[in-house]
Amino acid sequence: MSDLPPRRSVRRWLVTTNHKDVGILYLATAIAFLLIGGILALVFRLHLLEPGGTGLLSGNEYNQYVTSHGLLMVFWFLSPFAFGFANYFVPLQIGAKDLAFPRLNAMSYWFYLLSGVLAVAAFFLGGSFAGGWTLYAPLNVPTYTPAMEATTGSNATVFGLLMFVISVTMGTVNFMTTIHRHRAEGMGLWNMPLFTWSILLTVWMMLFAFAALLAALLLLGADRIFLTQYFATDQGSGLLWAHLFWFFGHPEVYIVFFPALGIMFEAFQTFCGRRLVGRKWVIIAMVLVAVQSFLVWMHHMFLTTINLEIKTLTMATTIGISLPFDLMVFALIYTMVKGRVRFTTPFLYSLGALVLFILGGITGVFLGAIVLDYEFRGTYWVVAHFHYVMVSGVTALIGGLYYWWPKMTGRMYSEFLGKLSFAVYFIGFNLVYFPMFLAWETPRRVFHYSGDMTLWHQLSTVGAFVLGLSVLMIIATLVHSLRYGAIAPDNPWEYSRTAEWAVPSPPPLENWDGRASYASGSLEFVPDTPATDGGAVADGGTATAEAAHAGHEERHPDHASIWPFAIGVGTFVFFLGLSGLTPTVIELIEPYYPADGPVITTAGEISYLYPAITVVGLAIMGVSLFKMGVEDFYVPEPRVAERWPFGGDLDDTKMGVWVFLASDVVVFGAAIGAYVFLRLHEGWASFDPIPFAAWPGLLNTYILLTSSFTVIMALVMAERGNKRGLLGFLGATMALGLAFMGVKAFEYGVKFSQGEFWFTGLEYSLYFVTTGLHALHVIIGLLIAAFMIYRIVSIDAYLEDERPVEFFGLYWHFVDIVWVFLFPIFYLM
Amino acid sequence: MQTRVDVFEDIFMIFLVLGTIVGVIVVAYTLYNAYKYRDTGEPADEDAPTLGELPTGGQGGKKLFLSFALSAVVVISLVAYAYVLLLYVETGPEGENPGEDAIEIDVEGWAFDWDFHYEDGVETTGTMYVPAGETVWINVTSDDVWHSFGISDQRVKADAIPGEYDQTWFVAEEPGEYEDAIECFELCGSGHSGMTADLVVLEPEEYEEWLEEERAALEEDEEDDEESEEDTENDEEAEEEEDDEGGED
Ligand code: HEM
Ligand SMILES: [Cu+2]
Ligand SMILES: [Cu+2]
Repeated sequence: MSDLPPRRSVRRWLVTTNHKDVGILYLATAIAFLLIGGILALVFRLHLLEPGGTGLLSGNEYNQYVTSHGLLMVFWFLSPFAFGFANYFVPLQIGAKDLAFPRLNAMSYWFYLLSGVLAVAAFFLGGSFAGGWTLYAPLNVPTYTPAMEATTGSNATVFGLLMFVISVTMGTVNFMTTIHRHRAEGMGLWNMPLFTWSILLTVWMMLFAFAALLAALLLLGADRIFLTQYFATDQGSGLLWAHLFWFFGHPEVYIVFFPALGIMFEAFQTFCGRRLVGRKWVIIAMVLVAVQSFLVWMHHMFLTTINLEIKTLTMATTIGISLPFDLMVFALIYTMVKGRVRFTTPFLYSLGALVLFILGGITGVFLGAIVLDYEFRGTYWVVAHFHYVMVSGVTALIGGLYYWWPKMTGRMYSEFLGKLSFAVYFIGFNLVYFPMFLAWETPRRVFHYSGDMTLWHQLSTVGAFVLGLSVLMIIATLVHSLRYGAIAPDNPWEYSRTAEWAVPSPPPLENWDGRASYASGSLEFVPDTPATDGGAVADGGTATAEAAHAGHEERHPDHASIWPFAIGVGTFVFFLGLSGLTPTVIELIEPYYPADGPVITTAGEISYLYPAITVVGLAIMGVSLFKMGVEDFYVPEPRVAERWPFGGDLDDTKMGVWVFLASDVVVFGAAIGAYVFLRLHEGWASFDPIPFAAWPGLLNTYILLTSSFTVIMALVMAERGNKRGLLGFLGATMALGLAFMGVKAFEYGVKFSQGEFWFTGLEYSLYFVTTGLHALHVIIGLLIAAFMIYRIVSIDAYLEDERPVEFFGLYWHFVDIVWVFLFPIFYLM
Repeated sequence: MQTRVDVFEDIFMIFLVLGTIVGVIVVAYTLYNAYKYRDTGEPADEDAPTLGELPTGGQGGKKLFLSFALSAVVVISLVAYAYVLLLYVETGPEGENPGEDAIEIDVEGWAFDWDFHYEDGVETTGTMYVPAGETVWINVTSDDVWHSFGISDQRVKADAIPGEYDQTWFVAEEPGEYEDAIECFELCGSGHSGMTADLVVLEPEEYEEWLEEERAALEEDEEDDEESEEDTENDEEAEEEEDDEGGED
């Protein structure tokens, strides 16, 4: 806990946990990555001026630029830009004072920034990953990034992405808990503003989609540093990656688009002076899309060897999912009817986004028809299609930037400059991407196109510079506003409805005095006393806070902590170190490497630098996690809030833990799925269990089940306030966990002594990585338990408030249950 | 018989025309409404949205559903039509997956060129020979990473995935030599941009002749080889190794 310095101070931005500050950090950082990604694109567009390339880039550089451009734009610009707005405005719109877990929120941000730094640093570590943003296998394993430096740089790209996914997961847990549990009294789910709705659905999709990507990246990371063989074989590796990636990848396209859609709904309503037509159906359509987005991924694989039946099914779901978008488009159009449309800059951008989306959607339907996709797959048609849809999203987000700019900065911008920037932007955009439809026969990620398409490619390059210019104009407009803009009123837009416009521009640190309430049917700020009617509790929608909080009444919430930043730095250093481990690992395993294993082309070489960096990173992480754990940081839960359907005896942290575990289920699900997929591919019967005997697995099953019991007893003891009992049972849990690890070490040791390692063959990789991932969970659990024991001994923790023990128990049970699945799979089948 | 080119032209034309019509109508209608209902400064009616209200929907749902239903019909019928052609493409013009005496060529991609295996062990690299006017079935795979084999002019494409065999067909109608007509459509490494191959379309008789010559040349080789069998084995191994290395840079 420390005080929050003023905004002029740099320290403020390092320690802040306030949602508005974090929102601004997200927005600014996203724009920085937009510029980097944009410069990469300008360079390779210049290279594309002539068929065969102008010689500006080598083949490998070209691939690096294209790859990093895609990764930066999709991951480090588009989504985080949207989440800048989400950070700032979702709490305001739902009447919350901050996100549920402010320090976690700051941590998401630092993970995001530093993961991007790692991905960009890859260029300077011998060359970034050059296999396309889709990271197809087996091009993504070290065999195909031979030079030692390129291995390090490519690893940095992959681990940068992994770190980004961790950031997203933390953000997901936070937003999910906040939106479900911190809504103002009277604001049911149906009543949420559409921007908030879009973010809620986005995080629901993120929860599952990014967990699949996390699993894929963990397996890929293992392949890249430990030389396992998930993606290195010709036994289904390629298809496995494609399935994992697109299972994430298709929902991802809606993940990046939904927030933009939410902004379009807000801007259209405000600037047309009308409520959204068919609002209820729009929400239902969005929910349908979010669910169905997990059923269409194979339309990215029409050209692979999947069979006709599956293709047909995927075609049906793909076309099916385009229909709800139809409805949303028409809802926007009809919202203008009988309205009072004002062509402000944000509205122009939103309208532009709608037009671009219509064109992108129509060309998407072309791709959904399989016969056409056979021809379009891998060509500029796809490039043009997804830029129309995704950059339509960007267009709406820029609209959002203008829309909310006065709120965030307290300054109006120049409408003239804003409209000018829009004109240049819109022309530039179409100049870049429309010619791509005409040049569609060009294979994507290629600079060797046929001569008769030269004109289209040149137009596109010119357009790229016009678009780049417009981005500079947008930035100039905003800088101009900061300097010379008129002071913005609370509500500069007539007919705006949502709560952010009811507070000053910019809003004060804690948004408002008292609490927001819609109990009377419209927004009021009321004194923060518990609801007196009591009736609301009956329907489970409104819950009053537990007595546990009563003692804190006078205390102010905290807004500053340096530890999220420190943990971010530690993690960054850790991943940087990991990136350079491959040559060392190769040197170490060389003597045991099977002759028929995937070819190793990276030179083996013991390096002390990277292992040292890894250890330093771990040390920083350890210390700062500990410091954050013992920090006294007060975050009140709202006393009165709409929480359906997550009210009842849940509290924020418990819900957060559940959400996290749900994503972890997907991670393990994907890992086990990968096992099943690869084993089926090789022939189910061709695998024999790897462990030398089944009994260590069985023994470990008993050990873990027993530990589930001791952890329950620990909770009982905590509830009774029995310190010795609590210590005893937590200690027993730890001892059992250690015993589990001991048996595991023995079991691995026997294998190693027989000359069998994780790189010995595919089935070995599957066994060691999956059980290793589980063991990693056990180790993390042990660390948490050790920390808790320390807290009990040092400050008598958990005797008054036993909930942390319960949360730990949830995690521990989960780890046990996973083992119950792994045991039969790896020891008996 | 419809070639892949014919199929594509039909369906692309229909999609393009309908897509353009729908696009133009919807975009025009959007802009028309934006203009028509522009703010003229008239006082707001009572029903205007107000700050802090709990969100509800606006009026006008009927039209919404009408437009939605209309567009859904267009989309679904388009795709249904496309599906019929898909079935044709999947089974091939003879109504059966490669028939008894169909011409089959195995295509193998490697970084960064293409190998073609014809009947009787005839092989070429970097140039594909096919007879004009006949259905050519191809089986596409890869020796190293994921590639994608495609001939834009013939509207044919198939992913080349290690360990997988992707089957499809095409009919080249015009004899001739088409330089760089074969391209790689999946990023496969530093030489991806230049991973092209030539297509040579021969009259059917010429194709048979060519095949015959190659076969004869092959037999001669074999006879030579039989004299020193051990050498052959060594040679083959050496060749394989070379291939491997070629795939890695
Ligand atoms: C009308 C609805 C849509 C349909 C029917 C559709 C259909 C498709 C299909 C079939 C593909 C695969 C093309 C191929 O690689 O062969 C594709 C690619 C893609 N679409 Fe869409 N799409 C739609 C909307 C969107 C939206 C809203 C977005 C994002 C905002 C999007 C982003 C993408 C991206 C990024 C790719 C290419 C991924 C890659 O290969 O790198 N699409 N789309
Ligand atoms: Cu998709
Ligand atoms: Cu290629």
